[in-house]
Amino acid sequence: RGRGFESRRRHPARGEAEAQRARARLRRRFLRALAAARGRPARFWLRAGVRVDATFGAADREAAALLVEALRTPLGLQEAALLRGPDVLCFRFPLP
Amino acid sequence: MNEWQKKSPLEWETYLNKLVKVAVIEKHECEGWVLTVDPVSASIVLATFPENESVSISVVLGHAVEEVEILKEGDDEMEQRLSCIFAPEESKAYSP
Repeated sequence: RGRGFESRRRHPARGEAEAQRARARLRRRFLRALAAARGRPARFWLRAGVRVDATFGAADREAAALLVEALRTPLGLQEAALLRGPDVLCFRFPLP
Repeated sequence: MNEWQKKSPLEWETYLNKLVKVAVIEKHECEGWVLTVDPVSASIVLATFPENESVSISVVLGHAVEEVEILKEGDDEMEQRLSCIFAPEESKAYSP
């Protein structure tokens, strides 16, 4: 995927190296955030005004799917479920 | 792909450690200090401090971001506070 990976036109080599460093710093922090979320109770806001509570599990590489546990639905408790990334607007979890 | 997802890592990096208001699709809104932006999914990770000691982390998925407005620049103290949020894991993982 080319997202955020375009080369800089003016100073291709220097620009690309800087962009690569920035990309690595940002991604490293994001992966730490996901690691911190693991096993924590989280609230998910989905499309069409749906809001659900679950325990955060993991996300795949592009956050195209989120694995959750103990998902509380009107039909009962789902031990494990996948939320489709495009259906999720945001999620929130507390850190102690 | 929305405007936010089209930004480069260097552009996303300019939002770090700033207080922002994120306009989310379906009329949602999220406010907090920017911890990172995932360069792969363009998801924004925000921190808020509901009580003095506790931290709440919000993740807005990149596809759901409509607009990001900077409300306030972070000072050195805030930058330090934000960098410490995931720091214990960091030192554990990398200590010899």
